[in-house]
Amino acid sequence: MENHPLEYDYTVAKMFMLTTIILGIVGMLIGVILAFQLAYPGLNLMLGEGLAEYTNFSRLRPLHTDAVVFGFTLSGIFATWYYIGQRVLKVSMAESKLLMFLGKLHFWLYLVVIVAAVVSLFMGITSSKEYAEFEWPIDILVVVVWVIFGAGMFGLIGIRREKSLYISVWYYIATFLGIAMLYLFNNMAIPTMFGVSDIGESGVGVWYHSVSMYAGTNDALVQWWYGHNAVAFGFTVPIVAMIYYFLPKESGQAIYSYKLSLLSFWALMFLYLWAGGHHLLYSTVPDWLQTMGSIFSVILILPSWGSAINMLLTMKGEWQQVAASPLIKFMVLSSTFYMFSTLEGPIQAIKSVNAIAHFTDWIVGHVHDGTLGWVGFMIMAALYHMAPRLFKREIYSKSLMTAQFWIQTVGVVLYFTSMWIAGITQGMMWRAHDEFGNLAYSFIDTVTVLHPYYVIRSVGGLLYLIGFFMFAYNIYKTMSARKVEESELQNATPMGA
Amino acid sequence: MDIAQLQAYGYFTLTIGLVLILYGYIYHLYSKKKDVDGVDYESYSNMALKDDIDDTPVASMSEDKAPKSAKK
Amino acid sequence: MFHWLEKHPFFFSVAVFLVISFAGLVEILPNFAQQSRPTIGTAPYSTLELAGRHVYIKNSCNACHSQLVRPFKSETDRYGHYSLSGEYAYDRPFLWGSKRTGPDLMRVGNYRTTDWHENHMKDPASVVPGSIMPAYRWMYINNTDINTAFAEQLTIAQFFSVPYNKPVPMKDGSSIIVKMGGSVAEANALALEEAKVIVADMKDQDVKDAVARGEIPEIVAIIAYMNSLK
Repeated sequence: MENHPLEYDYTVAKMFMLTTIILGIVGMLIGVILAFQLAYPGLNLMLGEGLAEYTNFSRLRPLHTDAVVFGFTLSGIFATWYYIGQRVLKVSMAESKLLMFLGKLHFWLYLVVIVAAVVSLFMGITSSKEYAEFEWPIDILVVVVWVIFGAGMFGLIGIRREKSLYISVWYYIATFLGIAMLYLFNNMAIPTMFGVSDIGESGVGVWYHSVSMYAGTNDALVQWWYGHNAVAFGFTVPIVAMIYYFLPKESGQAIYSYKLSLLSFWALMFLYLWAGGHHLLYSTVPDWLQTMGSIFSVILILPSWGSAINMLLTMKGEWQQVAASPLIKFMVLSSTFYMFSTLEGPIQAIKSVNAIAHFTDWIVGHVHDGTLGWVGFMIMAALYHMAPRLFKREIYSKSLMTAQFWIQTVGVVLYFTSMWIAGITQGMMWRAHDEFGNLAYSFIDTVTVLHPYYVIRSVGGLLYLIGFFMFAYNIYKTMSARKVEESELQNATPMGA
Repeated sequence: MDIAQLQAYGYFTLTIGLVLILYGYIYHLYSKKKDVDGVDYESYSNMALKDDIDDTPVASMSEDKAPKSAKK
Repeated sequence: MFHWLEKHPFFFSVAVFLVISFAGLVEILPNFAQQSRPTIGTAPYSTLELAGRHVYIKNSCNACHSQLVRPFKSETDRYGHYSLSGEYAYDRPFLWGSKRTGPDLMRVGNYRTTDWHENHMKDPASVVPGSIMPAYRWMYINNTDINTAFAEQLTIAQFFSVPYNKPVPMKDGSSIIVKMGGSVAEANALALEEAKVIVADMKDQDVKDAVARGEIPEIVAIIAYMNSLK
């Protein structure tokens, strides 16, 4: 064996980076199509009457959410884990054949799950539960993938050189545990092929169908305990892990207060799980759970802002970097959006506000300022930071990156402002009564009034998608840009004009 | 005692317990400032800032486990 | 204790797990001890209704339509009595939805007819001018999967004691019996009988012909399901 100096091995990180970009394009493209379908329903037939079943809004809707959650975001989480994990534990995956094997197995099995999920959702095979649409055979595969991810994670931690675990690793561990617990409990189902008829027939009907273990209100309770916390452990916890690594690293600044980051971690872990009840306000779940959901949602502002403020203060005295580097811009705006949507969420969780906001587009707007602004920006920033270090080349174009930043920012602003107006308008119209106490509007009045906002939202989404294509192109060109030395990669990422 | 009452008591005590633990944690962090190995908490930021494979760890797992010795 | 946790990943993970599972333990588990009890007048879904529910799920109708009437005057005026927990006792999965792009369907069976649905699903904007709902024309062609619905009936009857072939109390003091077939052939015959009642009110000749041939297009099943929502 030749005596190469030991280096971090980013093979698996590169693989997941690829799926992050591809599935990001797929998920966001479907999202834009859906947005235009709401504004112009004729687009439901965009591929003709024959394929209407597969281009229809309702068939595409779960594909959009699952592609961005389980495709784009999850790939981004995996890609950054296989990058950050090695670095903060100061151990290379090249040091263990087993970990390398697990990493690659993780990727390929993940790809199998994605393909199976896409095909099944197009066919309309779904359990109907949001973000948990997959039927049991895919669920089992998901669990296997997740266990492999965890085994690789704890394996790497096991052979680490750094005794203490960096705060990002805490968050990755929490992601692993949280999703594992939630996914298992929410997807409990009995395959219907076990049903036996009076004359002894079994295995009747399609083999992949199953029926939920929980009924009605209980099912709703478990689903939104899951749904809300899938957001917690998919869209918050791992993204916080990313920003706690990439912002200090890129800016060269130590975290403003490491102690605050530890504190926020425990507070977030404890509080987040209670807040799921705010999805079920005024429903048939017990009142105390609804109230608890409201209260904990409001308290949740504290740990969320603890992390976000910690990030912004990390830039204290270094604000010129925000002007100078588009990469820092992405991250600073990202944590600003985090503050913004973690304030907006609790407001919507207040019972009287929720009475208007629930079931309207305001909720859709809230989800998207979180996902587009916070999750999307952070994952793209992470990939921009990683790409030069994975390929030992500078970022292809800084000006393209800046242009992308502004285009996407305008996109997000158009998106959430139009959805606010749409949501509140619709919420108010639903509840309006005339002077005789009759309903003032028929339902369709409250739909047609939304048309201009649906158009604005579509344009906002389209801008974001265009920005994402610019991102993909920039990363693609980075693979053949100017080579850089190790010394250029210490902090600020090298970028070409 | 029915199940709802148990739930209420369980909820109440556990919440109080966790609040105490959390405040204990705050007190610990800001009074001690250093962990049991004598490492200032704030210096843990260096785990991200100095994260090349041959950088010195903030606190090593063990003395002899420097990168070179790990090479077979 | 804290600094110790930070350096022992295993115990750290255990601590995190305890903290995050706490809410679930207190919030969710105790409610399962109290099995959800159906309200009087709530009956299990018949074979065709259940198959229609599958069509509803297959096409993610729940992405745009809720099935949850909240206790506000504006909602009870528009949709009928507010929802009660026991009304959902046979809903696996629940279909409350999270977005009302279209109106709530919890009690749609009270104010829409077979005829209305038939026209509406074929061309929503012709029935409700300005509607942005897409047409669902493939439902007039694709056949319903009755076997899977039957398999689900068997499963829920066995595992969750859903009362098929047993008297279910109604609000007026009477009781009804929701029949479940004893075999695949019997289940299909039952579903076809139900389908014939639905198509009697329909105009589409192709659908009528299909049912006459013994097939059940998806539209018939989903209308049966819609009509059962009361």
